[in-house]
Amino acid sequence: MSLAAYTEGFEQFAAGLPAGQRAARREQYERFLKAGFPTPKIEEWHYTDLAPLSERRFSPVVEGGAVPTAELLADADRLVYLNGQLDQAHSTATALHGENPLLADGDSVTALNAAFATGGLSLRMARNERLPRPLQVLAVGSAGAAPAMVHQRHRIELGENAEATVLFQFLGQGTERLTTHVIEVELAPGARLTLYRIQDEHADATLLTRIDANLRRDSRLEAVAIDCGTGLVRHDFNVVLAEAGAEVALAGLYQPAPGGHIDNQTRIIHAAPHCRSREQFKGIIDAKAKAIFVGKVIVQPGAQKTDSEQRVANLLLSRKAEVNAKPELEIYADDVKCAHGATVGQLDDKALEYLRSRGIAADAARALLLRAFGAEVLDQLAIPALRDRLAARMGLAVEEIFEATIEETAE
Amino acid sequence: MLEVKGLHARVEGKDILKGLDLSVRAGEVHAIMGPNGSGKSTTAHVLAGREGYEVTAGSVLFDGKNLLDLEPEKRACEGIFLGFQYPVEIPGVSNLTLLKAALNARRKYRGQPEIEATDFLAWVRDRAKLVKIDPKMLSRGVNEGFSGGEKKRNEILQMLILEPRLMILDETDSGLDIDALKIVADGINALRSPERATILVTHYQRLLDYVQPDYVHVLAGGRMVRSGGPELARELEEKGYGWLEAA
Repeated sequence: MSLAAYTEGFEQFAAGLPAGQRAARREQYERFLKAGFPTPKIEEWHYTDLAPLSERRFSPVVEGGAVPTAELLADADRLVYLNGQLDQAHSTATALHGENPLLADGDSVTALNAAFATGGLSLRMARNERLPRPLQVLAVGSAGAAPAMVHQRHRIELGENAEATVLFQFLGQGTERLTTHVIEVELAPGARLTLYRIQDEHADATLLTRIDANLRRDSRLEAVAIDCGTGLVRHDFNVVLAEAGAEVALAGLYQPAPGGHIDNQTRIIHAAPHCRSREQFKGIIDAKAKAIFVGKVIVQPGAQKTDSEQRVANLLLSRKAEVNAKPELEIYADDVKCAHGATVGQLDDKALEYLRSRGIAADAARALLLRAFGAEVLDQLAIPALRDRLAARMGLAVEEIFEATIEETAE
Repeated sequence: MLEVKGLHARVEGKDILKGLDLSVRAGEVHAIMGPNGSGKSTTAHVLAGREGYEVTAGSVLFDGKNLLDLEPEKRACEGIFLGFQYPVEIPGVSNLTLLKAALNARRKYRGQPEIEATDFLAWVRDRAKLVKIDPKMLSRGVNEGFSGGEKKRNEILQMLILEPRLMILDETDSGLDIDALKIVADGINALRSPERATILVTHYQRLLDYVQPDYVHVLAGGRMVRSGGPELARELEEKGYGWLEAA
């Protein structure tokens, strides 16, 4: 394990920092250097091996590239990052960009992120404040002749009863790239956050994201995570239900393209009584793609009346597809409701046959069934333009069928 | 319209049909009756092209075309409809989605443009009345949460909407109470016309009280052992199948 190129990169990066910041960054970098990239020997990294990254050389500075303007949402406020730098031209909410605290725990990727992190979304909402529109944070990795790395740090802090919808979109194209995003979320009592995390990376990309959310009394976090693309992707989603009445609902749909690798790790800690957690993840995995879902739920002593449910369903479309789905429950309280279920299956042959018997070609029938499978998660995206674009991108689009209209004409 | 000659078919390595002959002309209603395990359902499935049914000998011509060469969806587009004995539930795919996709697949096959949304809905609403299905139910997943009778009525509704030329109904009458049976029969009768033909696969004479067949065939041991007019069905009802098998 050499990491020499990272050290060179760090010296280059540190030289550009204000003198007062260097020591803190160096401390983080030393921490990363000592631990190195995680290897499968670490339980949490059993399915995703980052060791090959050690020998790579990524430049911490990237020039050029273009924002895919088709991805800009019309009815949203926007922060657009091109290779980690704020893109003023396409951003409408530049006031929400800022530097964020660089907290780190024992995790070496988080330390790496902290050593190199540039700013990101810095959203701080006062009590009872509401975001009038969704906020789109579009992070694009694009162009550049040499392999590059981008590390960003974001923070969302909602005051009491504040409400917001924030969409993080990670897109990549072009050359080899290492990207990390750490997103910290603090919800004050009664706050409500809807958080979307969309990933569509390219084949030479490594994307590592981590979301840490802390939920106080009666606050609610609703998250929908959609993954497609071909990169090596690892997501950590850590939620602490810190006070009574807090609720989290995570939904995810992952569909790695051939060559893609998507590792979803969730960790929900019920630290207080009367909290509720829901997880619903679905995977569609085709040939030469790999998906992992590990869902940890920890019910701490005293977290009585915990209500927790975790459902994972995977569809394997090929014998050359791989999926690992693992629920992990640790329960240290006795008056709790904790349900979990994980399935791995194939498309229903009987349903396929039925549709074909009605004249629908095999491909179209398969698309209908896949869409039905994915729709449960996809339809939770309350931004129709985004939902439809993703459905089309993932081959899950089915023509809208006038449900409303038939009710109107039913008289 | 349909010419079946010397048809042999195998399911899971077991020979079920052993030289079946059947000739159906436009405008006719044929009933295929017979004891359990005689090959009635296999006949229906082989004609519709379901997977897992291996034809080992014989021929099936539909309007002169070799039906056995066609994929199930192509057979449907050619105008064959199979009413399932056990209609499948498909959560997440609404009945309307299925109907519209099926209707448009057919139109595309014939080189016609897709149906207009308003025309489609008006057509569905009109047909739903015939089988007493609330159109609102059609926004739900295919057969999802439908009772046994509702599923069978839904099969008939699909048939009424798709207007096939050859309707093959596999024990559509099984498990129906008398009211549902009448609705199903009305649906079948509504489609009777000189251009269309019907094959009713049934174990009992009951349905034939409401849908008058032109021909009744008795299938036993994978072959037609007796053919006759409607009176044959009544004879079977009285005497059972035993006397035929002994003969």
